[in-house]
Amino acid sequence: MDRTNIKKWLKTPDKMGQKYSLWAVYFCTGCGIIEIPPVITSRWDAERFGVIPVATPRQANLFLITGYVSLKTLKAIIRTYELMPDPKYTVGFGSCPINGGMYWDSYNTIKHLDKYIPVDGWIAGCMPRPEAIFIAVTHLWTMIDKEMATGYKRYKENYEYYRHNQERLFGKLEWPPLYPINEEKTEGEGN
Amino acid sequence: MVIKAVWIIVLPIVAFIIGIFFLGLQRKIIARIHRRYGPPIYQPIIDVIKLINQESISHGKLFDMGVILSLAGSIILVLFIPFGEIAPLSGSGDFLVVLYLMLLVPLGIALSGGEGANPNISIGISRKMMLSLGYEVPFLFSILAVMTYYKTTSLVKVVGFQQSSLWGIIHLPLPAIAYFMILPAMLEMRPFDIVSAPQEIASGPAVEYGGRYLALTTIEHAFHIFIVIALFVDLFLGGGNPFTFFVKMLVVFLLGLFIHAVFPRFRIDQAIKYCWKWPTILALAGLIIARII
Repeated sequence: MDRTNIKKWLKTPDKMGQKYSLWAVYFCTGCGIIEIPPVITSRWDAERFGVIPVATPRQANLFLITGYVSLKTLKAIIRTYELMPDPKYTVGFGSCPINGGMYWDSYNTIKHLDKYIPVDGWIAGCMPRPEAIFIAVTHLWTMIDKEMATGYKRYKENYEYYRHNQERLFGKLEWPPLYPINEEKTEGEGN
Repeated sequence: MVIKAVWIIVLPIVAFIIGIFFLGLQRKIIARIHRRYGPPIYQPIIDVIKLINQESISHGKLFDMGVILSLAGSIILVLFIPFGEIAPLSGSGDFLVVLYLMLLVPLGIALSGGEGANPNISIGISRKMMLSLGYEVPFLFSILAVMTYYKTTSLVKVVGFQQSSLWGIIHLPLPAIAYFMILPAMLEMRPFDIVSAPQEIASGPAVEYGGRYLALTTIEHAFHIFIVIALFVDLFLGGGNPFTFFVKMLVVFLLGLFIHAVFPRFRIDQAIKYCWKWPTILALAGLIIARII
């Protein structure tokens, strides 16, 4: 630990805790998951950054979307994201979640992930090297420090927008809304 | 009287510090054995701070109470186990009290898991109960051997006897070996981490825990490590003043850790077969020998 960090620890322990212990949820969305095993095991050891994989979304606060997002996966992604406890960060990994990547003209692939859940940062590349994950993690640290990684707050504030987009894809969703929705306004938007 | 009251407050804090230090050491040493750099040694403290500041999602009253019950059971247990010569709540029959209170920890987690209503939790809880059924038998035999040999049900007296003569591991080698063989099962370390197997049942009873619940579970785990190893040191390695006691605990923990770092996981049936075979035979033989002597 740097000695300069001690003052920060005393001032904002919650923020520093969030920074140095990012628990990532295992979610095999696409081909990017191939890059995760080398990252968490011996060669590129993610645990020295405090990043460890956990098995359930309830314990996680970092969500890596690794690879292309099909319609079916998106449903699972939304459910996983809503299960995670509140200060939570999402990182899109690879070019597919950014703009569809090589699936740009596919009928079944999501082109803009951030219409459906808020994304705090992107790692470009097809595929990015494992080092890119660490660059993303350190960048996320800076963003948490400057309070720029506020995806979960955006999700709460603009929940109607996100829910509306999700429902436009899937029709009626099977689970109730996470935050209360102002009914009249949504119907107006839907029409 | 005042000193006793002070120790009642201070001893859980000491136990927590030692336990959380062991948790950090565990992660660092495993990383080094796997040829990784590993997290800093204070990483569990960072994790606990983070978890306390996270949103925690409750599933009902019992879900909250179960976690608190198991934590409370651990804290009370710490007060009964002599740390060096310090044992604030020791009485004449504290051996039996320790045996009973050790059941509170899995019971609290089971109560809390029942409210969580996740299938992974029920599998994890049933595994936990089966595993404790497995290790309680050799554990009881080896503890009975100690009680029979020293003819007392007081932990403090056992420690006292050992300090006036040789260590218990020399008088009672077989029960000591049996206890050491089931130590990983009691600590849920790797041949026996069946309960919280993240790859099979998504970390078992902790599936629905997040935020403060997970923080409390981590703290409880730190206490649990302290209790199990301190009991071993008290029974077989002759207690000592706080410093030598800590060194003995560290040696026992490191020996268990080296097994943890390189072994894969048992299935539950293999674990029970193991527990009821060699440790039980050794502990039973030790009990008979202790009775004859």
